[in-house]
Amino acid sequence: MGSIVGLARGQKGVSTAVSAAAPLVADPGDARAPPRPIVVGGIALAGCAAAAASFGLSLSGDYGRAPYVHATIVGWITLSYILCGLIAWWRRPESRFGPLMVAAGFAPALSRLAEANAVGLQTIGEGLLLLPPVLFLHVFLAYPTGCLERRLDRSLVAAGYAAVFGLDLVRALLESAGRHGGADFAKNAQRAAIAAIALGALGALVSRRRSSGRPFRLSLEPLVACFALALVGLGVGIVMLALGAPGTDLVRWIAFGLVGTAPVLLLIGHLRAGLARTAVGDFFVDLRSDPEPSELRDALARALRDPSLALVYWLPEFGTYVDLNGLEVALPGPGEDRAVTLIDRNGAHVAALLHDPSVADERKLLDAVTAAADIALENGRLHAELRARLEELRGSRARIVEAGHQERQRLERNLHDGAQQRLVALSLELSLIENEVDIDSGAKARLDQARREIAASLDELREIARGIHPAVVTGHGLAVALEQLAARADVPVRLTVEVGDRLPEPVEVAGYYVVSESLTNVNKYAKASAATIEVSQTNGLLLVEVTDDGIGGADTERGTGLRGLADRVEALGGRLRVWSPDGGGTRVRAEIPCA
Amino acid sequence: MRVAIAEDSVLLREGLARLLEEAGFDVVALCENADDLLLKVRSFSPDVAIVDIRMPPTHKDEGLRAALEIKSQHPSVGVLVLSQYVEVGLALKLLAESAEGVGYLLKDRISNVKEFAAAVRRVGDGGSALDPTIVSTLLARQRPDDPISQLTPREREVLELMAGGSSNQGIADSLVITLRAVEKYVSSIFGKLGLPSTGSESRRVLAVLLYLRS
Repeated sequence: MGSIVGLARGQKGVSTAVSAAAPLVADPGDARAPPRPIVVGGIALAGCAAAAASFGLSLSGDYGRAPYVHATIVGWITLSYILCGLIAWWRRPESRFGPLMVAAGFAPALSRLAEANAVGLQTIGEGLLLLPPVLFLHVFLAYPTGCLERRLDRSLVAAGYAAVFGLDLVRALLESAGRHGGADFAKNAQRAAIAAIALGALGALVSRRRSSGRPFRLSLEPLVACFALALVGLGVGIVMLALGAPGTDLVRWIAFGLVGTAPVLLLIGHLRAGLARTAVGDFFVDLRSDPEPSELRDALARALRDPSLALVYWLPEFGTYVDLNGLEVALPGPGEDRAVTLIDRNGAHVAALLHDPSVADERKLLDAVTAAADIALENGRLHAELRARLEELRGSRARIVEAGHQERQRLERNLHDGAQQRLVALSLELSLIENEVDIDSGAKARLDQARREIAASLDELREIARGIHPAVVTGHGLAVALEQLAARADVPVRLTVEVGDRLPEPVEVAGYYVVSESLTNVNKYAKASAATIEVSQTNGLLLVEVTDDGIGGADTERGTGLRGLADRVEALGGRLRVWSPDGGGTRVRAEIPCA
Repeated sequence: MRVAIAEDSVLLREGLARLLEEAGFDVVALCENADDLLLKVRSFSPDVAIVDIRMPPTHKDEGLRAALEIKSQHPSVGVLVLSQYVEVGLALKLLAESAEGVGYLLKDRISNVKEFAAAVRRVGDGGSALDPTIVSTLLARQRPDDPISQLTPREREVLELMAGGSSNQGIADSLVITLRAVEKYVSSIFGKLGLPSTGSESRRVLAVLLYLRS
C-alpha cells in the first residue's frame, strides 16, 4: 500500500511542475528540477516490492498451468515500466510522461491483487483488473510529451477510464443486488469496450504516425509496431477470455511480453529528447556569438532538429512575410504539410517559422528556442526589411528602365512605319513621275537632286531611329545585331557569341548597349588597334565582355556612358565592371541574369 | 518575269507594283503579310518574291522567316529582302546556305528604277544582290596591313560590285570597261586576297562577304 501513496504524491508533484513549466527558459530552475533522489529511491524500492508482490501473488493465485511464466512476465512489466519511467522523469522532469509510466508500472501489481487469497484485496484487484491496458494505451498515446494533444486521444483514454471504473461500479452494484446475470453482462460489456478502445487507440497511433513529420515518424515507427502487436494481443486476449476460448494464456503472455518491451523504446525516445536539450544548449552558445542573420535559420533548424525549417520575417509596412533576402513568401495554407509558428516580440508580430508539423509536438522546446532567439530575430527582421526595400528600389528602377524601353520602342516603330516609309514612297513616286512625264534635262537634274535629298534624310532618320531603339535586337536577337556593331567599329573586332536561343528582350537590349557603348569608347578614346567581344551564357547569366588593347584609364564616373550602362545592367539585377589600368587596355564585363 | 510582292504599307506595295510593271515585270501577287506570301508563292510560283523584312503581326522577323522558308521550300524562287536597315548579321544569315537567288537591299534602292529592276531580274535568274552599304561597311574597318589595302582603287571598285552580286558583264557595263579587263581584275583580286577563284558569281558574293567579315 505504501507504493500507492508514493505514486500519488509523485503524480501531484509532477502536475504542479508541468503547469509551472510554460516559461521554460525564463525560469529554468524550479520547473525543471528533477524529482529528489529520496523520492526516486523510494519509488524504485516500492517498484521492486510491487514486482515481488505481484510475482508472489501470481504464484499463489490459482492461475493457469504455468504460474511461473505468468509471474515472471508480470514482474518484468512492473519493473521495466517503473524503472524506465523513473529515468524519464529524471531526464525530463517538466513532462508528466515519466510519472505516467511509473503509474502504468504499478497497475499490473495492483490488478494482481485479484489473485490474492484474501477476499478484501481480491475485490480491489478484480475492480482494477482492466486498469493496466487502459494505462498502457494512455502511456503510448501520450508519447512523447506526456500530454494527450489530440481530441481523439483524449476521448479514447477518457472512455477507457470510464469503462474501467464506471462499468465496474455498475457490475459491483448489480452483484450486491444479487442480479448475477446483469453483473456478468456488465463485466463482458466492460471487456468488449476496452478491447474496442484498444483497437481504436491503435488506429489513432497509426493515423498520428501518418500525419506527423519525418523526424517524429522515425521515432514512432518501432513503438507503433510493438504496440500494434501488443494491443492486438490484448484485445484478442480479452475477447477470448470473455468467450472462454482455449489458448488465452499464451496470447496474453505474448501481448504482455511486448507491452513490457515498450518502455525500452520509450526510453530511447527520451534519450532523443535529451539530445534536443543539448541542441537547445548549443543554440544558446550560437546566439552568444551574435550570429549573422543568415546563420540564425541554420541555428534554429539545428535546435529544433528540422533541416527543412524556414524563417520568414513579418514586415508590417509591406504587409507581407519575406525571406532574408527581402523576397515575399506566402505562408503555407491549411491543406499543406507544413506547420507555422508565429513569433511575437513586445506584443508586435516579428516573424514566423515554417516547419515540419512534428516540431509542434515539442511545444515547449519551440517556445524556449523562439524566446531565446528574441534579439537575433529582431536583427534578422531589420536585415530582411532593408533587403526588401532594396528589392523594391530595384523593382522600381527596372520598371523605369522598362517604361523607357517601351517608349523608345514605340518611337522607333512610329518612325519606321511613318516618316521612313513615306520618304521611301515619295522617292519612288518621283521616279515614277520621271518615267511618265517627258521632262527636260534640267528638270531631271532637279528630280535627281530631290531624290538625293530624300536619301540623305533617310540616312539621318535611320541613325536617329537606331539610336532610339535597336530594332534589329528585338527582331533578330543579340547575335545578329552584334555583327553590325562589330562591322561598324573603327578597329578590327573579333566577335564570339555563344548564346543558344533568344533571351528576354530587356536582357538582349542591355547586352547590346553594353557592346555598343563600349565600342563607342574604343572608337573615341582607347587608341586601340583591336578589340574582342565575347558573349556567352552560363548558369542563368548572360556574360558580355568587351576588351581592347588601347591606352586604358577609362573613368567610369566621369562619362555618363558607362554610368548609364551600369544603371541599365543593375536595373535587371546584373552587374557591370570595368577594368581600365593606365596603358593596360580596357575591359568591360557585364553579368545579366537571364534565367 | 513573274514577281510576288509582300509589303504591309499600301503606299509602297502599290508603288512597287507599278514600278515593276512599267519595267516589264509580271506582278502576280500582292501580299500584306508573310503567311499570305507563303500561300501565294505556292499557288502562283513566281520567279522572284520581294519581301519586306518587318511585317505584321509582330513586325519583328516575319519577313526574314518567310524568305528563309521560301528558299528552303521553293529553291527555284528567288528571294529579294527589303529593309529600312541593312544589317551585316542579317546578310550573313540570309546567305548562310548559299547566295544563289538571294538579294538583300535597303528599301531606298527602289527609287533607282533601273538598278532596282536589274537587281530583281538578277535574283530571279538565280544570281545575287547585296546592298552596297554592307560591303562598304565591311571595307571601311580594314586595317592598313590588310590585303585589302594592297588593292588598287579600280580593283576596289570591282570588288565592291562583285560583292554586291554583279556579274562580270554587269561590272564591265558599270565601269565602262571591257569584259576581258573585268576578268583580269577579278583574278588579280582573288590572288591578292588569297581566295580560290570560284566560277559562280553567287558563290563569290558569299566568299567575299565571309572574307571581309573575318
